[in-house]
Amino acid sequence: MAPLTIQQATKSFGEVQVLHGIDISIDDGEFVVLVGPSGCGKSTLLRLIAGLEDISTGSILIDGRDISRSHPKDRDIAMVFQSYALYPHMTVAENMGFSLRMRGATMDEQHRKVHEAAGILDLEPLLDRYPRQLSGGQRQRVAMGRAIVRDPKVFLFDEPLSNLDAKLRVQMRAEIRSLHKSLETTIVYVTHDQIEAMTMADKIVVMRGGYVEQIGSPMAVYDAPANVFVAGFIGSPAMNLLKGRIGSDRQSFDLDAGGVLQFDSVLNARPHQPVILGVRPEYVKISDGGSAAVVKLIEPTGADLHVMLDIAGTKLTAVYHERLTLEEGQEVRLAIPTDHVHLFDPENETRIVGN
Amino acid sequence: MVRWQHGLWLFFLPSFGLLAVVLLWPLGYAVYLSFFDYYLGSGERTFVGLANYIDLLTEARLWNSMWTTIIIAFGSVALEFLVGFALALALYRLNGSAKVFSVLLFLPHIVTPVVAALFLKWMLASNWGFIDATLLTFNIEPADWLGSPVWAKVSVILADAWVFTPLVMMVLYAALQGLDTSLLEAAQIDGASSWNTLRHVIIPALIPAIIFVISIRLMDVFRFFDLIYVLTGGGPGTATETITMYTYQLGFRMLEVGKASALGVITLIVVAILLLTINRGLNKAYRGGDR
Amino acid sequence: MSAQMRVGQQRTTWLIFIGLCLFTFINLTPLIWAVLTSLKDPRDAFTIPPTIIFEPTLKYHIQVWTENDFVFYLMNSLIISAGTVFISVPAGSLAAYALSRIPRRSAGPILSALFTIRMFPHMLLAIPFFVMGTFLNMIDTYPLLILALVAINQPFTIWLMHGFFLEIPRDLDEAAAIDGCSNWQAFRIVILPLARPGMTVAALFSLLLSYNEFLFALVLTGTDTKTLPVAIASFGGEDISSWSLSAAGAVGIMLPIVLVMLILQRHLVRGLTAGAVKG
Repeated sequence: MAPLTIQQATKSFGEVQVLHGIDISIDDGEFVVLVGPSGCGKSTLLRLIAGLEDISTGSILIDGRDISRSHPKDRDIAMVFQSYALYPHMTVAENMGFSLRMRGATMDEQHRKVHEAAGILDLEPLLDRYPRQLSGGQRQRVAMGRAIVRDPKVFLFDEPLSNLDAKLRVQMRAEIRSLHKSLETTIVYVTHDQIEAMTMADKIVVMRGGYVEQIGSPMAVYDAPANVFVAGFIGSPAMNLLKGRIGSDRQSFDLDAGGVLQFDSVLNARPHQPVILGVRPEYVKISDGGSAAVVKLIEPTGADLHVMLDIAGTKLTAVYHERLTLEEGQEVRLAIPTDHVHLFDPENETRIVGN
Repeated sequence: MVRWQHGLWLFFLPSFGLLAVVLLWPLGYAVYLSFFDYYLGSGERTFVGLANYIDLLTEARLWNSMWTTIIIAFGSVALEFLVGFALALALYRLNGSAKVFSVLLFLPHIVTPVVAALFLKWMLASNWGFIDATLLTFNIEPADWLGSPVWAKVSVILADAWVFTPLVMMVLYAALQGLDTSLLEAAQIDGASSWNTLRHVIIPALIPAIIFVISIRLMDVFRFFDLIYVLTGGGPGTATETITMYTYQLGFRMLEVGKASALGVITLIVVAILLLTINRGLNKAYRGGDR
Repeated sequence: MSAQMRVGQQRTTWLIFIGLCLFTFINLTPLIWAVLTSLKDPRDAFTIPPTIIFEPTLKYHIQVWTENDFVFYLMNSLIISAGTVFISVPAGSLAAYALSRIPRRSAGPILSALFTIRMFPHMLLAIPFFVMGTFLNMIDTYPLLILALVAINQPFTIWLMHGFFLEIPRDLDEAAAIDGCSNWQAFRIVILPLARPGMTVAALFSLLLSYNEFLFALVLTGTDTKTLPVAIASFGGEDISSWSLSAAGAVGIMLPIVLVMLILQRHLVRGLTAGAVKG
């Protein structure tokens, strides 16, 4: 249990720089999720923290101590691998006790701590089995058990759920979350799945191309994405991002492809200013008045209704929780509440402040 | 290498130390010896510069042995490839019962080469060998398989093929098994004949394996020793004397170790040129595969 | 696929099957002939037409191993092969493990270099070994031949073991490092137990290579250390009257190899592509 600070961390593999000046500070006991598309550098960053890759410049501090150049075993961390990396020739108990054994713990201590961790994770009946005799979910649990036994300052998770089926993934998500609640250890968790990130994190770090795009609580990132990339990456179905200009009355929006969106109050930008306008599908409401649109496609998912709308050639996705009676080809009117509109600068794609 | 792995450098020590002492040093010593007129019988040696090389390159025996090596190399490798590929395709087609065949067909390759050569000698020996005895039964006058210059070459090529076709077969069979079966199924659905499937689907996919096995075999022929030593000893005369056999004669029969070393170095250069050429072909084939 | 086509395909399969049976039989004739010869009395061995049906005798098999020095040669072969394996496989495994764990851009050139070394004409190595052996008075001793065999065996062992180590996920090394292992501990405690099947295969291939090797054995051994291939080559040479005896010897030498091959079956291709068994 300790705070983790990453200062100006960079990483290059030969000519290729994969991480650019990363600054993240993580509080004691915080659950931080690094999220981003594949190749964004999130796994590399995790491996830098673990010491499995050498940091190029910058430093990493755990509990105030600079560990950027220490051996992985001296960093007081534990890691859960995507592949679990259980030792195939050791039993579950031996796997879990291995780090204690390497640190010269007595047999009694090993035994006690392994059973303690096994108790937490319901692994006791499996202690004498070998990894090949376990199901995917059980292996996952053993991998976590091995990490818990260490009682480290920081837990590192590298896409731990990606090898599980969808149902088990949801279940393990909750389990890891409740484990964190009871252990109160700092966790850094890597995933490419934004739903995992949203549901589990205290703090999300969105990454792209070796840069941190935004850091914040899941809801803060969701409600106020810092740029077009984050806006499109977080949330499912993705936010609608429309190119166009603010109308002269600041209550309308002229789409570049043609067509107009009407709003009932002023947008927070200059008249005629070119912007990218973002609106989440759940805020595209159908009303009696407002912008005209045509229903192109209706996809009922059971709980929700996903509707693809068309405004003079521009596609717009909408989600409704109520069961509307819509038909494909039908003309509707849309009302979009102004306070749920996000405006981005089309030049640098960042959020227009004050919006 | 990442910092935590720095200890791995020590892992190289035993092996690379060994290689330096038992491989690189002797090789360097051989190159050094090649500049001396050195008869091991008397122990006298005098520095002669490139004289050994000049001597060798101007004498007929070297070119004769080089020519012999080339004939045997291309003859046997061509034969091995054709038969080996046919066998590999047959095994691939059979699938289930292929395992028994592959083990039986592989036997000649795994047997000690000297023993394999003896087996063949007992086949080819005049009069009482199996082939002669069989032919004589039907009153057919057999050729002198190991005694006539032309037949001796043919026999050596056949012997090499007997021992090494299984290797070619196994490598190509393994490559065939690694093929994506959906490719073949797609070809079948497209209505390609077996021949067309072979030509346009199977062979292009096997190019790397084919080049690999042919290059290995070509280079091995330059080291080819056991079979010829037992079968013909390089004879009759020098009809089957390859470069390797000639080097052996020079070094270990005439004890002219300086000259023999020079010949070894020449062989190495020839093999290196061969290796580079094949490598270039290999690269081209890979690039061709990318297109 | 139409029924007609299926029948056609089945017929082709049968033709291939019969063709393969024939080829295999003809291909194995030299071997069968040698086995038959080894079981024949001379009066059956030298006949026209060749005798197929005869009263087999094990006389020569017994004679070759009792009345000649073949047992002694076998011991030499075993000592030299075992010596080679015990030096080559551990050293090669260590290097192969390290090669499989360092970045590919560093490992690639080393592997290529090893592959090139494997292609060196052995004759070029045999000469300096012979000269130095003469100087050091080591001709006809075990260590000299063992070292020579290690030299030609080492690149092959490294290649083969490298393939096996690559199959063991690097995650395990990383997990071990985090769990507190040094590189040596990770190798010994985590990786080595998993590499044992691979090492067995490498050891068997090395054994085969040393057991079959002829050139170095021919020029570096004498009366004290002569190996089986050298012995049988000089023994089974010209003298027709000893055919049955030498055939018995040759077949005897072959038997353990067949046994090893049956064990190695699954790994043959791998061994072959890492470097031919012979050479």
